Amino acid sequence: MDFDFSDDQEMLRDTVRKWATKAYTFERRRAIAKAGGFSPEAWKELAELGLLGLYVSEQNGGMGFGPIDAMVVMEELGRAIVMEPFAAVSLVATSLLNVGDVPSAALWLQGIAEGKERVVLAHQERAARYRLEHVETSAKNVGGTWQLTGAKTVVPAGAHAGAFIVPARVSGAVDDPAGIALFLVSKGEKGVAVRGYSTQDGACAADLTLNDADAIELLPPGQAFAALEHAIDIGIAALCAEAVGAMDQLVAVTVEYMNTRKQFGVAIGTFQALRHRIADVKMQLELARSMSYFASLKLNEPASARRRALAQAKLQLGQSMRFVGQQCIQLHGGIGVTDEYIASHYFKRLTVMEMSYGDTMHQLGEVAARMKDTAGVFA
Amino acid sequence: MDLNFTPEEQAFREQIRAWVAENLPKDISHKVHNALRLSKEDLQRWARILGAKGWHGWGWPTQFGGPGWNAIQKHLFEEECALAGAPRVIPFGPVMVAPVIMAFGTPAQQQRFLPDIMSGKVWWSQGYSEPGSGSDLASVKTKAERKGDYYLVNGQKTWTTLGQHGDWIFCLVRTSNEGKPQTGISFLLIDMKSSGVSVRPIITMDGEHEVNEVWFDNVEVPADQLIGEENKGWTYAKHLLAHERTNIADVNRAKRELERLKRIAKAEGVYEDTRFRDEIAKLEVEVVALEMMVLRVLSAEKSGKQSLDVAGLLKIRGSEIQQRYSELMMLAAGPASVPFIREAMEAGWQGDQAAGAAFVAPLAGTYFNMRKTTIYGGSNEVQRNIVAQTVLG
Repeated sequence: MDFDFSDDQEMLRDTVRKWATKAYTFERRRAIAKAGGFSPEAWKELAELGLLGLYVSEQNGGMGFGPIDAMVVMEELGRAIVMEPFAAVSLVATSLLNVGDVPSAALWLQGIAEGKERVVLAHQERAARYRLEHVETSAKNVGGTWQLTGAKTVVPAGAHAGAFIVPARVSGAVDDPAGIALFLVSKGEKGVAVRGYSTQDGACAADLTLNDADAIELLPPGQAFAALEHAIDIGIAALCAEAVGAMDQLVAVTVEYMNTRKQFGVAIGTFQALRHRIADVKMQLELARSMSYFASLKLNEPASARRRALAQAKLQLGQSMRFVGQQCIQLHGGIGVTDEYIASHYFKRLTVMEMSYGDTMHQLGEVAARMKDTAGVFA
Repeated sequence: MDLNFTPEEQAFREQIRAWVAENLPKDISHKVHNALRLSKEDLQRWARILGAKGWHGWGWPTQFGGPGWNAIQKHLFEEECALAGAPRVIPFGPVMVAPVIMAFGTPAQQQRFLPDIMSGKVWWSQGYSEPGSGSDLASVKTKAERKGDYYLVNGQKTWTTLGQHGDWIFCLVRTSNEGKPQTGISFLLIDMKSSGVSVRPIITMDGEHEVNEVWFDNVEVPADQLIGEENKGWTYAKHLLAHERTNIADVNRAKRELERLKRIAKAEGVYEDTRFRDEIAKLEVEVVALEMMVLRVLSAEKSGKQSLDVAGLLKIRGSEIQQRYSELMMLAAGPASVPFIREAMEAGWQGDQAAGAAFVAPLAGTYFNMRKTTIYGGSNEVQRNIVAQTVLG
């Protein structure tokens, strides 16, 4: 049992933090958001740092790193609320391409590591909410070629992706996980329409419409759903770490404000009502950090233990994100609700993160359904 | 980073588990698992079993006869004891006064007091709180006047947990009114059989006799029972509080009680009720998060690389969780927890049909009892002040 980071991980953290502090300033972030929420230059900088191939194997030009390294990077990207879809491309989609059973997967992985290609998971459907097994998009095999028809929504940075990993139904009822396969769809194929838009946090997403679009089967039914669940759990762990970084910074900003802002002739940080509030905020932050560690440390467990742990983690993080976000805005008073001030941007990012990969109520259902007679970290 | 205990730590755990399974009396663990009343004899029997093995002072270094375990080993020992249904070791001797005697006592005091604490022979009580002091410990009024080779002690302590069983009591006493309140306090060890000491029960709202008032009326205390220097007692008391660390969270007991909550909820038919089950699920996540926070502290202690100042958070969260599981247990039983059956707290009570199953009877009492947890040990509001101080600087 050991929660220390290795020297290499500390160096990785320093590298990302230095870049984020110097290169991804609030002013630049604002400009990127205004220009649509994705910066090809920033993406290139992430590639130059060697980060984009974090989960790509060395033989495919990446680093072949593990969950704790990913957690370290995500904390630092979260601290600067970086909007570029690092986790979506380099962790979630990469993990699926890593287990994908097609020759082209290696090419996409090499492209991701180099920063030349972006592949993202397009799994959400309007009627599914957060249920992964609810897939209406259909796949049919026409003379040896797969063709997909359906609509996916809120695909991260979809307008800037070269390909999509799409869960589609080969057989079974609309909520039957056994009838789902995973497909690789290139943006250029006929029948593929992408409509991009800004998201509430300044980043961007897209709706993906497929109309008899040609696709390659990445994973067949029987393997696909388990891999999809695993990929989502990788996304949850990344998001937990990102949220910890974002909350850490938001709390730091709030503490500084409490120590400088004066009311009735004294710093507002001297008022006990506000002091107790920031103590409660600190509680939620440390619970969140603890559960973010838990999430990343449980990622390689067998599926049932992993699923339970990741649902528990996201439940805690969801609660923490909402509480820390709301209270830090409140502690700022009027300035907190303005677009000009940085705190509101952290708040919006935290809000969007809570609604990614299953919100708090969804996770509560998952945790409740997966409870065992025993309890605790090692249950 | 690694969540798993090392093979050595795992082997240590197995060794503890086997020993506890063999040595913890079944009648005692039955009472603990069902929140039944533990007698003085039960508590002392377990203390002496531990003492014979040299584990009653499980946190002690080897030079004072302890096992010399590190932070992880101590945690594993506590966890195995808790999960097996061992009673909580009464902390006042082995956990609270012993480290102070080790750090600040004379060799003569160490030889006189420590062996009897380790063996479980002598029952210690804590004399900190006074009427009106609340969470403001430095407001000590109990007076100790130096009279040659003894101190004359007059005053009153209160909230003395299990003081009715106490042989000795360690007290904060006022030896000077000069300067700040903290500077005139001394740390005195007092034999409770001394003439002029009287103990009066305080009955708490669960109907139980757990806490007491202890009165000192012209009690003569030999001067060689002063720890360290006169007027330095506050420093020693703070040392003691610093030793409470992670056990303040009581996460091991929380795990055991959460398992019990699930059993009760199943027996009462509410485990499959979505609204009720969701509340258990939320508590489960709270317990896991608390345990992770405790493990982070232990890891930091083991490596010495990073310091983690979260004692206040552990106290707040741990106590809230204790209150919550006791609340949910009572709510699970619903109306069946309403009848007040004093004898149902004793092992062997078979229950009657009107009140339902035997395990239901103590639930409300435990819920009442747990209200203390957010008040004692520095109320949670005082803890929030401390946390805010570390956050805001």
